[in-house]
Amino acid sequence: MHKEIVEFLNKEVAGCGASTTEVEVGDASVVVNAESIKPVCFALRDSSEFQFNVLQVVSGVDYEDRIEVHYILASFTKNLELILKVKLPKAGKDEMVKVESVCDVWKSADFQERETYDMLGVEFIGHPDMRRILCPEDWEGFPLRKDYVVQEVYQGMEVNPAHKINQGDFDFMAKAKLDAQNPKLISGSWAGHVSPELSDALKRKMESLEK
Amino acid sequence: MENSNNVEKLHTDLMTVNMGPQHPATHGVLRVEIKTDSEIVAEATPYLGYLHRCMEKHCEHLDYRGVIPFVDRMDYLAAMNMELGYSMAVEKMLGTEVPERAEYIRVIVSELQRIASHLMFFGTYAIDLGAFTPFLYAFQDREEILRLFEELSGARLLYNYFWIGGVWNDINDDQLRRIAQFCDKMEENVKKYHDLVGMNKIFRDRTANVGVISEEMAYQYGASGPVLRGSGIDWDLRKKRPYSIYEKFDFNTVVGKGEMGTLGDCWDRYYVRVFEIFESIKILRQALEGIEEGPVMGKVPKIIKVPEGEIYLRTECPRGELGYHLVSDGGKTPYRLKVKSSCFTHTSMLGELGKGQMIADFVATIGSIDIVLGEVDR
Repeated sequence: MHKEIVEFLNKEVAGCGASTTEVEVGDASVVVNAESIKPVCFALRDSSEFQFNVLQVVSGVDYEDRIEVHYILASFTKNLELILKVKLPKAGKDEMVKVESVCDVWKSADFQERETYDMLGVEFIGHPDMRRILCPEDWEGFPLRKDYVVQEVYQGMEVNPAHKINQGDFDFMAKAKLDAQNPKLISGSWAGHVSPELSDALKRKMESLEK
Repeated sequence: MENSNNVEKLHTDLMTVNMGPQHPATHGVLRVEIKTDSEIVAEATPYLGYLHRCMEKHCEHLDYRGVIPFVDRMDYLAAMNMELGYSMAVEKMLGTEVPERAEYIRVIVSELQRIASHLMFFGTYAIDLGAFTPFLYAFQDREEILRLFEELSGARLLYNYFWIGGVWNDINDDQLRRIAQFCDKMEENVKKYHDLVGMNKIFRDRTANVGVISEEMAYQYGASGPVLRGSGIDWDLRKKRPYSIYEKFDFNTVVGKGEMGTLGDCWDRYYVRVFEIFESIKILRQALEGIEEGPVMGKVPKIIKVPEGEIYLRTECPRGELGYHLVSDGGKTPYRLKVKSSCFTHTSMLGELGKGQMIADFVATIGSIDIVLGEVDR
């Protein structure tokens, strides 16, 4: 299906540069140029062959050098599903990347694009109401970027105050790993918050095991 | 003459009223800012985020098994269905085969959860419209399902029951027998409830021709589940793109017909949900017949590492389609897990639906869309 879509798009929208790659596991996707996302969406919606009449998701993924915006389309009449991607080069930390809005194509893009703006810092040009949707309006930074650090103070309130962190919970996993014969079998999160003595002891144990 | 001139000079203005975040009719912590022209809604703007926990960010720091309790907490009224989608997405990437018995248990449990969730809708919707008793009836039946889930998983609301590769605990014959009994009882009860509430004159007057969603609007806003079927569109993922073992079962898709008024009004959405309970009972009976002895857990590596790639997998949940977009870089944790929540997309319709309605009708409309704020905000 993806090859036909690429062929169709390259014929219909000049210069959209659609391409796809074969994958071994999971779903394949179609990548297009960021400048032509709106005409591509219009073409896919109005084509009699595919009829992508529903926009399911607009989301994004943050990579080291770029932010990918994903549009997941579905056709309820032809029973199809498509992951459409644009790649936007990243300028720097907390700097917006820009792409054209597809609100005119599907109305569901309204909330979805606002969420992507809120979480990843992608500005959608031409969106009627570009505000944060899940975080408060005066929140700083974009939580789903990989280099995001939570702000320390929000409206005079301390975020994550020390007295509210239960250190015992964080140390629990580290202690279990220290006690276990093979610590690799115990997996858990919160690695960053373990008390320094425990994490040192754990590091020594891992090193001795490797020898 | 003088008097009438004075009346014309009188100045009227729109009044801004906040509905929520603490309001019984908003089903959680949703705030809708309404500009009212006396009793009529001139403009409605939903404000979300009061329950925002950024679960998607949490998932990037958790191993694949550790994500399951987090997806539970999205739609806390249909936690089993939330787990089903996630575990299926990971299994598909890993290429794990789930044993037959586990698949049957998954279908049984998620259909029971669907019934529980629709009963919850039935009860709370009646409360929204001013009838209190149906809520108690609905909770009586829901209680039986929750007790069964408690026996199965140890929890009443947030289960962590579906694991990657199968289910955590086997179901025993006594429990299966009780489910069969429950199906018989439920069938009788739902008929009664529908006669009591759905055919009630006041209920019909409050819901028929209110909050009409046309076919075009449903597609434009990406509606799914009962909201889409209420608008007369025959679309059920369990039928159209069968997942798990749903292609083995014989059941119908319930579609709104506009019996009491316009196609796609609140009554149609109510009708779809209540009659879906009968279809779920049909599936349950077939599943109880087909289930056979066997293991309930497939072969899964101790430390799960999903191969590099991505997958988008959607399942039919009580409130609509739930999609998981899982992007993996080959590590122990998901690189990105995006959840497509049907409640979130349905909330975006409120602005357009509310325009021009009476405030009381707006309450009926919010109730008929049946949103759970845990899933909207994630």
